[in-house]
Amino acid sequence: MKKILFPAILMVITISFAGCKKWSGEHRDIYSYTPPAANPVSDKAPLSCSGSGTSVVSVKGTMLTGKTYSVEAGCDLVINPLDTLLMQPGVTLNMGAGSSIIALGTLVSNGSKDRPNFITVAGVTKIDAPGTVTAKSDPAFAGKWKGIIGGPSCNLMVLRWTHVEFAGGTEGDATAKLAGSGTGNQYSILFANYKGNFIMEDSWLYGGVDDPIRISSGKVAIFRNTFEKNGVSGGDCLNLKGGSTGTLAYNFFIGTATNGQKASNKGQAVGAPQTNIVMYNNTFISGGYRQVQSGRGGSINFEEGAAGMYYNNVAVNCKYGYRVVGSPIADVAHLSYGNNFQYADSLFVANQFYPTGYITQPQTTDIPSITTSAKYLPAGYTPGSVYDGTDVVQKNNPMFINFPLPATGHPLAQYNALNGYNFRLQASSPLIGKGNTTIKPLILVPLDPVYGLSEATPPGADLGCYQINGVGNQH
Amino acid sequence: MKHNYLLLKLLSLFLCCLFWSFSTFAQTIRGKVFDSKTGEPLVGATVKIERGSFKQATSAKLDGSYSFKNLQPGTYKIDAKFIGYNESKDDVVNINEGATVTQNILLQDANTQVNEVVIAGSANKATDRSARTLERNANSVINILSQNTIQLLPDVTVGNAIQRVSGVSIQRTSTGEGRYAIIRGMDQRYNNTLVNGIKIPSPDDRYRFVPMDIFPSEMLERLEVVKALTPNMEGDAIGGSMNLVMKSAPDRFIFDANLSGGFSTLFSSSRPFTSFSSSGINKNSPAQINGNDYAATFKDFNSSAITSNKQLSNPVSSTAGFTIGDRFLDKKLGVILSASYQNIYRGSNSKELTPNAAPTIVPAPNSPQFSDSYDRTYSTQTQRVGLHTKIDYIFDKNNKISLYNLYLHTNEYQSRQTSDTLGLGLNSTGLSKQITISNRSTFTQQTVYNATLQGNHRLADKLDFDWDGVYSIAKRNQPDRTDFSYDANNAVNSAGEVTASVKNNMALSHHWENNTDKDIAGYGNLKYSPKIGNTDVEFALGGLYRHKTRDAYYATYDLTGGKATLYNNNFDAVPFYFNLPSDGIGNNNKDKSNNYAFKEDINAEYVQAKFKLFDRLQVLGGVRIENTLQSYNTEQPLTYSQKNGTISYTDVLPSLHLNYSLSDLQNLRLSYYAAISRPGFGEIVPYNIDGEYYKQIGNPNLKHSTSNNYDLRYELFPGGADQLLLGSFYKNIQDPIEYFVVTNGGPSALFVQPGNAQGGATNYGFEALVTKYFGVFGVSANYTYTHSSITTDKLLKIDNSPIVVQQTRSLQGQAASVANASFLFKSQKLGLDMQLAYVYTGERIAQVSTYYNLDFYYHPFSQLDFSFEKKIVNRLSFYGKVNNLTNTANKIYLKYPHADIDSKQQEFLGKQDISGQTLVQSDYYKVSFLGGFRYKF
Repeated sequence: MKKILFPAILMVITISFAGCKKWSGEHRDIYSYTPPAANPVSDKAPLSCSGSGTSVVSVKGTMLTGKTYSVEAGCDLVINPLDTLLMQPGVTLNMGAGSSIIALGTLVSNGSKDRPNFITVAGVTKIDAPGTVTAKSDPAFAGKWKGIIGGPSCNLMVLRWTHVEFAGGTEGDATAKLAGSGTGNQYSILFANYKGNFIMEDSWLYGGVDDPIRISSGKVAIFRNTFEKNGVSGGDCLNLKGGSTGTLAYNFFIGTATNGQKASNKGQAVGAPQTNIVMYNNTFISGGYRQVQSGRGGSINFEEGAAGMYYNNVAVNCKYGYRVVGSPIADVAHLSYGNNFQYADSLFVANQFYPTGYITQPQTTDIPSITTSAKYLPAGYTPGSVYDGTDVVQKNNPMFINFPLPATGHPLAQYNALNGYNFRLQASSPLIGKGNTTIKPLILVPLDPVYGLSEATPPGADLGCYQINGVGNQH
Repeated sequence: MKHNYLLLKLLSLFLCCLFWSFSTFAQTIRGKVFDSKTGEPLVGATVKIERGSFKQATSAKLDGSYSFKNLQPGTYKIDAKFIGYNESKDDVVNINEGATVTQNILLQDANTQVNEVVIAGSANKATDRSARTLERNANSVINILSQNTIQLLPDVTVGNAIQRVSGVSIQRTSTGEGRYAIIRGMDQRYNNTLVNGIKIPSPDDRYRFVPMDIFPSEMLERLEVVKALTPNMEGDAIGGSMNLVMKSAPDRFIFDANLSGGFSTLFSSSRPFTSFSSSGINKNSPAQINGNDYAATFKDFNSSAITSNKQLSNPVSSTAGFTIGDRFLDKKLGVILSASYQNIYRGSNSKELTPNAAPTIVPAPNSPQFSDSYDRTYSTQTQRVGLHTKIDYIFDKNNKISLYNLYLHTNEYQSRQTSDTLGLGLNSTGLSKQITISNRSTFTQQTVYNATLQGNHRLADKLDFDWDGVYSIAKRNQPDRTDFSYDANNAVNSAGEVTASVKNNMALSHHWENNTDKDIAGYGNLKYSPKIGNTDVEFALGGLYRHKTRDAYYATYDLTGGKATLYNNNFDAVPFYFNLPSDGIGNNNKDKSNNYAFKEDINAEYVQAKFKLFDRLQVLGGVRIENTLQSYNTEQPLTYSQKNGTISYTDVLPSLHLNYSLSDLQNLRLSYYAAISRPGFGEIVPYNIDGEYYKQIGNPNLKHSTSNNYDLRYELFPGGADQLLLGSFYKNIQDPIEYFVVTNGGPSALFVQPGNAQGGATNYGFEALVTKYFGVFGVSANYTYTHSSITTDKLLKIDNSPIVVQQTRSLQGQAASVANASFLFKSQKLGLDMQLAYVYTGERIAQVSTYYNLDFYYHPFSQLDFSFEKKIVNRLSFYGKVNNLTNTANKIYLKYPHADIDSKQQEFLGKQDISGQTLVQSDYYKVSFLGGFRYKF
């Protein structure tokens, strides 16, 4: 019932905001010619490497709307350096056990809202109700196929309205050598070219083993995506290393193993730019609980020479708050943040809003207010020291449409998938109107409806990824 | 302070002995005993005097001198005996009141009469004297340690003994044992190791150089370090060639045996030696047992190497050895058998800071940072068995054949206990500490076997031919190295006390590493020595062919105990499993593609001529051609471009050695030679393994290094074992092999890869060596100054984008100053030999950083060792060796003021002692003792 109710409400809101132009506009339906794909990929037989003596099956051309393709188990689907694979809207690509996609050239999965693409594994059922399955036996964390590996020559990778599911298997030597990556990698998506563009918009990433998305370096634009069950026992959901630049905005994370978004300048290559990441309007729910090491974050993390900013974010019941690391120190001279919201069910979480031992500087625009009480961030508080968060426990309920807080019935760690919850905002939410809209996204990727970023949503007035006016995350 | 006290005691002992030798006398007979032919003093010759019923005996000292004091005036009969020499005919000496008479005695070498065989009949080469003779008559620049010197050294392995040679410093293992030799600043890759002139393969999994600690030093007749190559020597020794000459068959019955025991003061009940049992160790990996398709599970592994740990508070080291030899069948058949057993317990306490992959710009540009602080204790038990036999048969005066067999086996049990505070400032802060506790047990077996059949023939009057047929095998097995670790997440209060500790993230790894290297080789040399004009000319030509096959196998299985499961100090309760079940399949093993097979065929030919250009100038010159054909194959996938390869090259290596005799006792030598250094097998193969700081990858495009080498040396041999050597050298090396940090794959994936440094490297210096004996005292000292330079690219982080700059530095491992000094006391009268040996190695680079000015340096290292041997009864003596009297630590520094390092890291730096530098590693070994008995027939 709620599923129906919600779009209805949304439509009403959209209409009221958009005014009456659409009612008065005219309607045209003019024929346009689309030339047939020159190199359609055949869906007659699985894409197979057996018989070649190697694990390689090379592919280029176009995967056609509505078709289902499959890759044989153990094969590496390779897009050669000068080739392009374009997946039209509505393509399903079923990956065999232990298979991978290696993009040495260009990969564009051009799904649409109506016809999303799937890069997944056939015949696996998701088990998402809290507490019904252990991490060890959850198929989300099984790494059924290896993932999408962008090689050092991959200039462009676009995932638009695309579901990427059940990846994260160990690359192994043969695959890693082909991709120029690492044998032990267990990433669902890897991108590793600081001159290349990685664009992910309106997509879904489900499951994973280590870092679900590792950007070793690259120009990135990651907008309006949903991340569920990412990382089995460690791994930062969006882990950006030295030489990564761009914007992460309007992303929704639930149940990440460690951080949702991390920026570090570690491993910056000669010629690569310094890591500079702008993060705004992201929402993090129950992050960090499958990482048992102490001190490791559950939301946002800036460390080792990384510059950038983070504003308008929402973290609810994340194990650790927004973390700025003092050694190796983030580029604090070029790092700004504010207007970030945090909510805690428990004192443990509230005591780590500003994680002890690090250098996150409380901001006057933060919620809860840094002047909430004499105990919470007392006078003389210095970044990284211990404080008593008792007075902010269960304060500032964000008023999600369907996710009751304080959470009852399950430990926080077990809320790791959407499972029918709705994190859009009720009209009474304290998140509304608290955002900083003066900051600017860092857009270095091409803007293009297919071969680039189709929409760079500017910072929103409401905190988190869902805006009361309907822009932002569209899922 | 305790050690200084010990030192003081030893010095006073030394001084006491000194005063002993001064005593008053009235009538005295004195003199020296010489070899009648060579004029060498015969140290240890027994001299007897007789006058009626009065008899007295003494023995000749280090300089050959003897004396009888406080004699009654009168006429004495005097005679001298020495092994291998004919007894002197009685001389008669008349001595008057208050007089001192000098009577020198000449002894005739018994061999020169008996052994008319022209083929290199080897007399007793054990003495320093014969070593000096060899050095003096050598064709090129050479330093020799004789058996007698080695026997008295405080060292039980060649790895340690070699540091006593002029210009040689050593690379130590984690427990302080010398393993590799650096000759005049050229590290181990530039040197080769020969046994009786035959190159032997290395049990090392990647490199050619042989770990010198597998050789028990007591098996050696002498140790030669050849620093300038002649055309008849293998050309792959830019730094030098270490030739281990093993004991050869004697000319009479000999037997000696020794037995000793000892301990290291490192171990106590509070710092026990951790031992483990190797009985549960799987010789083969699950993939070797069940095939590469088999999916291993936790059940396939036996972790008894971890669970069988025992703590021994004072383990006793022991050594034993004997040599037996004789000559049969009318002296035609000579046999020697020498066996050595050592069981040594050593260890070290080590602290180490691991550098972060990149420095930061805070607080200053290129500020070093550390990621981990390690605290480790090593307990190493080494069992060495050495066995060698040599049988020679002299058919007639023109033909001789010999068979040589060498077998060396080492079992090393090493337990390493580590506490690693990680993520300094990142995951460990003032209020929380993440510490990884790990326990690793490594069992390593190394075996070297060599069989050489050698023939020497006089084909015609002036034509000699010798040949060798060689089979060698070197193996190293490291089965089932087991490493168990877990994380202790400690919450710490402001007072530094642990308020809560969560232990989790258990990890278990089982690792296999096996490699075999086999050589089949043949050598042949033809020598023609005609007289041209009035000059003896020696033409030689010859060659060698060697076929080498080598393979290496690696497998690593990493299991996890689950991050969510907590560790309750019970290993057996941990539910280990593979993170993904497919990780247990052999075909997926991360090490599989590192497996390689390597073949190498080398054929080399040379021609050389030796003649006297004029009376005092000997010229030796010629050229050598070495052809190298290599091929490798790996288990890399077909899709990998460097899966296999073939490499071939030819080198033309000329050399010229001039030896000008300034006088009978002085030489001036000038040498030029060209040499090469072939990369290690594992360096060419495109391996990918975890290294110390970075992952390491191979380089199939690695070129071999070539060099031009010049040596100038002045030699003075005043007599006896005394000598003075002054030399200088210059080397110009093209394509030196250095390790560079490279990116491979993603720009953020950093690897260390061997590569050829553009622009080459130069290495020059000088050395001085002096040995002088004064009666019962001797001093031997040497000093080498070396300067090398190489310029490579480095990164500099002034702001957040690193730039490339060039930095000139010395070669890795090269110290500017290397010095040795030994003080000897040898008294035949007391039956006491003592030696205090000091070795100094100056500052040198331990680890080259990718970043400007952030190289790690070994601090200057000096060590003092003491040894003695005291005759108890006729043939039995007691001996002792005390190592590292001053408990010198091996220390590594970063040349960056520690106070300037980021304040957040200060708490992890530990105790610092030099204000302008940062101590990043220290290893302490403490004093060790060994004492025992030697029996000599």
